[in-house]
Order: sequence, then structure tokens, then C-alpha cells
Amino acid sequence: MLSIQGLVKKFGGLTAINNVSFEIEKGELSSIIGPNGAGKTTLFNLITGHLRPDSGKVIFNSKDITTLPPHEICRLGIGRSFQRTNIFPRLSVFDNVQAAVLAGQGRCTNIVSFSKNLCREETFHVLEMVELGDKKGFPAGLLSHGDQKRLEIGIALALQPSLLLLDEPTAGMGPEETAGIADLIYKLVRHQGLTAVFVEHDMSVVFGISQKIRVMHLGEIIATGTPADIKGDAQVQRIYLGEE
Amino acid sequence: MVLAVGLFASMPTFIDTSWISVFCEILILTVAASGLNLMMGYTGMISFGPAGLYAVGAYTTGILIVRAGAPFGLAMIAGPIVATVVSLIVGWFCVRRTAVYFALLTLAFSELIHTVIFKWYGFTKGDDGIVDIPLPDFLSSIDSYYYFTLACTVVCLLAMWIIVNSAFGKALQVIRENPNRAEFIGINVRKYQLVAFVIQGFFLGAAGSLLCGFSHSVFPTNAHWTKSIDIIIACLLGGIYHFYGPFVGSAVYILLDKVITSFTEYWSLFFGVVLLILVLFFRGGIAGFVSERLSSVTHEGS
Repeated sequence: MLSIQGLVKKFGGLTAINNVSFEIEKGELSSIIGPNGAGKTTLFNLITGHLRPDSGKVIFNSKDITTLPPHEICRLGIGRSFQRTNIFPRLSVFDNVQAAVLAGQGRCTNIVSFSKNLCREETFHVLEMVELGDKKGFPAGLLSHGDQKRLEIGIALALQPSLLLLDEPTAGMGPEETAGIADLIYKLVRHQGLTAVFVEHDMSVVFGISQKIRVMHLGEIIATGTPADIKGDAQVQRIYLGEE
Repeated sequence: MVLAVGLFASMPTFIDTSWISVFCEILILTVAASGLNLMMGYTGMISFGPAGLYAVGAYTTGILIVRAGAPFGLAMIAGPIVATVVSLIVGWFCVRRTAVYFALLTLAFSELIHTVIFKWYGFTKGDDGIVDIPLPDFLSSIDSYYYFTLACTVVCLLAMWIIVNSAFGKALQVIRENPNRAEFIGINVRKYQLVAFVIQGFFLGAAGSLLCGFSHSVFPTNAHWTKSIDIIIACLLGGIYHFYGPFVGSAVYILLDKVITSFTEYWSLFFGVVLLILVLFFRGGIAGFVSERLSSVTHEGS
């Protein structure tokens, strides 16, 4: 589904991503772990068009998307949630999700439709998934941190992506909220046929739901495998898990 | 809305002619400020140069009537259309930059338009302006021109109301709130910003054309940056996050102007103080302040 081929990205003298290649299969739920500064977010930025690689290719459903702008990549079906909450603060929770539903369906060019009545069902469906139905009228900027993270994921889901990239979906959440998000991601992949990749620091989530784990260190992928493989990998133990 | 239109429509029956022209000015400024607000308040693109496009509308109408002898209706429609074309060209450059650089580009283009009008004597009559612009007989009285302006204002506001409440209008607000994220929900931010720029150009041009007929003349001051400030203040005073904000702002701005200048020549001093109070104590403009009060009252009631 997604094929990363020899990606390289340098910032000045620093090589943030160094010859990274991997494949993501349809229906896969995988995670990327690694210490801070390993290049995880940069990798997401390269895939979603926020940054352009110095060399290498990103192929999505056998289409080369390496040089496409973010909005076009998004319309091809790659949704993304952000590490720092990245929502539309003064709009209501409902409007946040509805805007994404409308944009995802390419209906935002319609200049005469009365938007209040558009796509209500789809919007409520997403709000229910992320359990924000009762807060639909709230200005999004006033939600608690945990709810903003949920909304963040809701906006990404509203686009009905086929591939979802989640950057630290549970960062800053309490244990209960974290479990809720992990459960949501698991269900989406299992029951709705989504493909998801997430970056995460919470090892209980990573080892709890990932089918495959990739470990990044200094811009390179140093190990790939099932949770059991990764747990037993001596190099990973030394540079990453051992530190914690 | 209906109430406000009714009130404005009945005005000529009970107020003085000199006040009718004041209300005419309010309506014209409302069209300009609402147009600007579609870009500034709804899309979050702060502009310093609405007067340039406003003057393009005014001069198009004036020049077509006086030089080409065009019929009044055609000249009125041509104003906003030419302003739309000009804003497409200007906007194409402006949306390449964001925030304060965007604002400075709008100012630069507006000053450019002002300079062209000022210097191109052969075409625009420069400093002398275009005067004695004839109107058709049925619009020659101030009352009838007032009704004409009112009708145009209602049509313009209705069109803008439909636009900001459409799916497209929602996309504009999404861009205002967070342009980076807007890209990642699949919105081509620059394209939408250009369309917003062009739409405001159309309505600024329409306001300019209305002004041309109202004052029977056009001058380079219509394109001057001080005119831009008038339009921007009307937006900010009324409240840029509310559809009716620019209307409220235009009314307060022009009425204050008339009231204060009637008893003192230091109008700008008084106005400065009023503006200070509004900015410090009425955050979100007058409309923002009122709607906040109203919502707290209704919440306590329920």
C-alpha cells in the first residue's frame, strides 16, 4: 500500500532521515518507536508532503507522491494526526469534524450550499467514534487536553483515509484515556479495514496493539519485527528499551 | 435582518435629507467593510489595502459614464467586475506571502493603484478627479438614490451571507483558524485564499461604484491609504467575527464622525479616545461584545 524507497532528508549538516526504506501492507497496524530526535516525525512529514526528501521516493497505491503538496496527498487517502494538538480552536467541535468531512469529500468548493445541514450523519458518526458527541457545541480550543487529542484523531478520521498516520496519539494523556485511544485505534484497523501507523512513547500501547514494530535511531530503521522479536533484540535493548 | 431593512426603508419618510445622505454613506461603507471582512474576519487574511480595489470600482463606473457615455446600469455592473479582474491579478501575487508580508503587499498594490490614478492625468484627470457624473433621472433625487443603494446593499449582504454559511465559507474559517492543518484535511489553502481575495475585490468594487453614483464624482483620495483605514476600522469597530459586525461598525463610525465634527474641529482626538475605549473594553468589537452579553443572559435564563 505504502512503499518508502531510500528516503534521505538532511537539515544543514544533520542527516535526519538516512536511507530509509520499508513497505506497509494493507490492513496492517504498525508502530514506529525510537528515542527523541530519531526522525519519526520527520518521516511522517516526508510521507504527507510537508517536507520534500533530498532523495528517495514515496509510493502510495503504486502512485509516486514524493513531490505532491499536502492537500493532494491528503485527498488520495492519507490522513494524519499531530503530536501537538493541531485543531481549529475557535470553531465548535462539530464544525471541526464537519469541515474535515466536507473537505474529504471535496465539497468545500460549493459556495451556495447551506453548510449547517451538510454531512450531519457522517459528522455525528465520527464524533461518536471519538466519544465527543456530548461536547459537539463546545469551542474546540476550550476542550481538555485529552479531548483535544481525541478531536485531533477525529479530524483525521473524518477524511475517511485508507492510511492513517498517528503521531503520538496518547501523548500527555492519563492511563485510562491512553487505554481508550489504544482501543479505538485497534478497533478501527480490525473492524473498519483501516491501515494505521503510529509513533508512540507509551510502551504498553506499542506492545499491546502493534502487529509490527519498527525501531528508529539516528535517522535509520535499525530493527523491524513483531513485538516479541523487538523485545528480544539485543541492539534495541541497548539503545532504546534499556534506557527506560 | 427584515426589521433592519424595514427600518432603513422607512427612513426617508421621517428624517431630514441631510441625514439620508449620512445613511447612504453608512450603507456604502457597510458593503465595503463586509466585503473586506469576508477575507479579513472569515479567512484571517489581514489587509492594509482595501481602498485600491474600492477606487477601481469607483473609477471604472465614473470613467465609463463620463468618457464612454455608457449607460448607468452597465457602468455600475462594470465597476465590481473590473475590480474582480484587478483583484485576481493583485491577489495572485499577494497570497504568495502570509501574515504581515501579505498585509504589506496589499498596501503596496493599493498605493500603486493610487499612484496610477494620481499621475495618469490623461485618463483619470489626476488630482482634479472626475466630476459632474450624470445619473439617470429616476435616481437624481437623494431619496431615490438612497433606495437604490439600500437595494444593492441588501443584495450584496445576502450574497455574502450565503457565501460565509456555505461549505466554502466553512473552509475559509478553517483556514483562518489553522492554515497548516487545513492543508492536511485536503484544502488547497492558497487557492481558497485567492478566491476569498477576489470575492472581497468584487464587493469593494461594488461599494466603489455605489460611491461614484452617490457623490457624482471620484477623486484619488478614494484610493488613498486613509480610505483603507476607514474600511478596516469599520470592520474592527463592529467585530470581525460576526457577520453584522462591519455594518454595526460602519454605522457607529460614520455617526460618530458626524456627531463629533458638528461640535469640535478636533474630531480625530475625540475619535482616538473612543477607539481606545472600544479596543480596550469591547474585545471582539461591538457585535462581539453584545453577542457575548446576550449569550451569558440566555445561559443564565436556561
